[in-house]
Amino acid sequence: MGRNLRLENLTKRFGNLTAVDHVNLEIEEGEFICFLGPSGCGKTTVLRMITGFETVTEGKIIFDGKVINDLIPQKREFGIVFQSYALFPNMTVEENIAFGLKVRKRPKKEIEERVDQMLDLVGLREWRKLYPAQLSGGQQQRVALVRALAPDPQVLLLDEPLSALDAKIRVRLRAEIKRLQQELKKTMIYVTHDQEEALSIADRVVVMEAGQFRQVGRPVEIYQSPNSSFVADFVGTSNFFRGVRNGDRVQTERRDFRIARFESLPEREVFLAIRPEKIEVFKLGEFPEGVEKSNLARGRIDVITFLGAAVRLTINLEGEEVISDIIEREFSRKEFRQGEEVHLYFPPESFMVFSAKEGSR
Amino acid sequence: MKPKKEVQGPTISAPVSSDRWLVGMTMGFLLAVLAFFMLYPVYDICKLSFLKGGTFTLQNYQSYFSNPRMFRSLTNSLYVAIVTTVITTISAFFFAYGLTRTTIPGKNIFYTVSTFPLIAPSIIQGLALILLFGRNGLITRHLLNTDWNIYGATGIIVAECLYCFPNALFILYTTLSAVDTRLDEAAQSLGASALKTFFKVTLPSAKYGIASAAALVFNLTITDFGVPVVIGGNYSVLATEIYQQVIGMQRFDLGATISVILLIPSVGAFLLNYYLTKKSYALISGQARPFLQPSRPFKKWAFTIYCWIPTTFILIVFITVFAGSFVKTWPYDFTLTLKHFDFPSLGGNAPLWTKFWASVLDGQWKSLIAYKYAPIWNSLWVSVLVALGGASLTLLAGYIVEKKRPRGVGILYTLSVLPAAIPGTVMGLGYILAFNKPYFFIYGTFWIIIINIIICNFTLGTLSSIANLKQIDRSIEEAAISLGADPIKSFTQVVFPLTKTAFFSNITFFFMRAMTTISAVIFLVSAKVKLAAIEIIFLDIDGRTASANAMCTIIIILVVAMLVAMRLITGKSGLKGMSATA
Repeated sequence: MGRNLRLENLTKRFGNLTAVDHVNLEIEEGEFICFLGPSGCGKTTVLRMITGFETVTEGKIIFDGKVINDLIPQKREFGIVFQSYALFPNMTVEENIAFGLKVRKRPKKEIEERVDQMLDLVGLREWRKLYPAQLSGGQQQRVALVRALAPDPQVLLLDEPLSALDAKIRVRLRAEIKRLQQELKKTMIYVTHDQEEALSIADRVVVMEAGQFRQVGRPVEIYQSPNSSFVADFVGTSNFFRGVRNGDRVQTERRDFRIARFESLPEREVFLAIRPEKIEVFKLGEFPEGVEKSNLARGRIDVITFLGAAVRLTINLEGEEVISDIIEREFSRKEFRQGEEVHLYFPPESFMVFSAKEGSR
Repeated sequence: MKPKKEVQGPTISAPVSSDRWLVGMTMGFLLAVLAFFMLYPVYDICKLSFLKGGTFTLQNYQSYFSNPRMFRSLTNSLYVAIVTTVITTISAFFFAYGLTRTTIPGKNIFYTVSTFPLIAPSIIQGLALILLFGRNGLITRHLLNTDWNIYGATGIIVAECLYCFPNALFILYTTLSAVDTRLDEAAQSLGASALKTFFKVTLPSAKYGIASAAALVFNLTITDFGVPVVIGGNYSVLATEIYQQVIGMQRFDLGATISVILLIPSVGAFLLNYYLTKKSYALISGQARPFLQPSRPFKKWAFTIYCWIPTTFILIVFITVFAGSFVKTWPYDFTLTLKHFDFPSLGGNAPLWTKFWASVLDGQWKSLIAYKYAPIWNSLWVSVLVALGGASLTLLAGYIVEKKRPRGVGILYTLSVLPAAIPGTVMGLGYILAFNKPYFFIYGTFWIIIINIIICNFTLGTLSSIANLKQIDRSIEEAAISLGADPIKSFTQVVFPLTKTAFFSNITFFFMRAMTTISAVIFLVSAKVKLAAIEIIFLDIDGRTASANAMCTIIIILVVAMLVAMRLITGKSGLKGMSATA
């Protein structure tokens, strides 16, 4: 067993406000964990408690079998990458990278080698003598990344490291961070509010809301099997219907859907959720064969939004709005038009069912 | 989710305290310094004024208010302060308006000249007015041949207006350049006339800045000692009355009583200023201002002419004092001479300096350099120590208040900004009462003067440190700490280099204040311990006006040399945004 990081009943209260509420998690060595949640959900507070910049109100942070709640930040040997880069403006790129090694009083030769190695890691060798202000945002964040990695920290913590960058660079740097993590096999904890970022980068995603961990799992689990309507809504897009369950049928305001996955929900009041790409769209003429009739509906295309590889159709079902994503090829082939009447099919096995009590929708 | 099992691992907790311990120690040290060298003297003053023979009594206040001569100093002070406040605030407002809201030529000259009064002791205004309008004034006696002279209330008011002008200007300039000019443009696009826009939009949006400038001018005027002592004549004000009672009559109890009376308007004005500054910041919009439209010709000319008026007055003051120190007998014989720089037996002994020059030089030069110039040497090294000590302590205080925020930081902040509320003369008297004791070994030495000047100017130093530290992102320091730097390393290698400019400008500020301050220090100098700025007053009282001018000239030259040196070192002018509040 490696050097795991474990959170036990970790809690942070600011006065009356509970920012983090009894959360538990075990992070294995070499794992890439992502904390995902809307702003104010407490994800940064969890990170700051792990770094030691925020005190722990209750519970434990355990690293390598030792409780480190009261260990000062500089003794934790955790690297941090900040949203604002936080490069030292008075030092050059290489001085920034060497800082953590210098304060540890490593031999000069070792520092030089390590700095070279780090610069190569992010391809910034020729920028070494420049000051942070002379670099672009993406370059600055690369420097910040290897600066944090230079002292070979036990864990690397990244606090929304890409949110100050523009979209293109964000995607590229995201891939770079993922590559680095796989090469170095370093435990990384990454905080973001961007669900696409979280799903694409992490081994496991922790979805947070109101100071609590709503769901912890692999990205595909989180996306395909959200455990609550909050997660279904926050991660990806979902269409929601409120209804009353009766066996394998759910009676909504206007419809009576058959559902396939409902496990052991005792409640009669439920939310049905379905991903836009799971809804099938047919021209009026080509009526689908051999399907559950009650899961068919007729509607009108109100808005067509071109997303690139996919096309999003906003369809009006007699007053109810439903979003459906179809791939661009199918869209072109079927030549859908705005205002066109279509048939929608909701496959029973694609419905996710949630208790209506916990969600506020 | 429930924890799977309890971990019974060892708890690591020891090192956490070292950081907090260091911060706590530093804060404790600063608190102790401020309490001992600021609160304790003020406490002693209050005690002396209210206690007689160990029992509480209002007897001192009774004798103050029942003696019309003494009581007059209160009404005089209020009169002078109010008139000065009104004149200075209004004139500085339009000056600032011209600099920020019009496209007049020569803004740089106007701005630079208007800061001149900060580099000289306040007394320079008085000296210049006496040379021009005094009993032997160039204008009154020589040109107009009249018996009227400027001594008294008129002189004090004119001199204080000139002295306070840059202080008020800084606040109003900041206010007017920060308030969004698009509001004015919006009003005009909605059809409001220029005059209506001014009264309905510009003026209300600057109201807190105006009130804050007024409160500052009031505070500066009512607490100033230098101007009334040279030009007041028989017109006594509170600050000079304290000195009169203590040094002239040895009535410490009455001095203490007047000090408490002076504290009331001074602290009141300070609190008002403090409150209004906070309010005025709320009105400042962070948005970039659009390009200033060219002013119409009439507005442009009117403001150009207007701005030349205070500029000319300030230039005349400096030229007059320079001239007065280089001519034989003002205003009769204008032959150039250096004889006034051969100060009449100031005496005094400066550590190191006197010994060194006495051994190197001979005869006339020996007495001039080694002994007569000793006060100047004293002032210089006192100022250097004040500059280094003051800038360091206020940076530390600012750092703890802005970045560390330990428990009880509110007390440190309050004590750090409080010195500006306490008049220099009161602080000076307090030092005598509190520290003139045989066991207090630094009393009567330069060290007490150095501490006193640092404490008196603590407010502005701390506030400018805080303002500067605010600009450093919190995560920069966290980055250093997470990379393994201890608190001392992260401060010296990351935080300090980033505040260097502010630190140097604080050095300049403290140096300037130490070279020019009079009010508190006048109580602490002695026959053995002399300072250049104080010598101006003694020379003037002795009737050696020309030599007083010469001493003033030397101080200005030294301060300017310091400013130039600092500019060369940091590449920035040290005067921007720096106003004296103590």
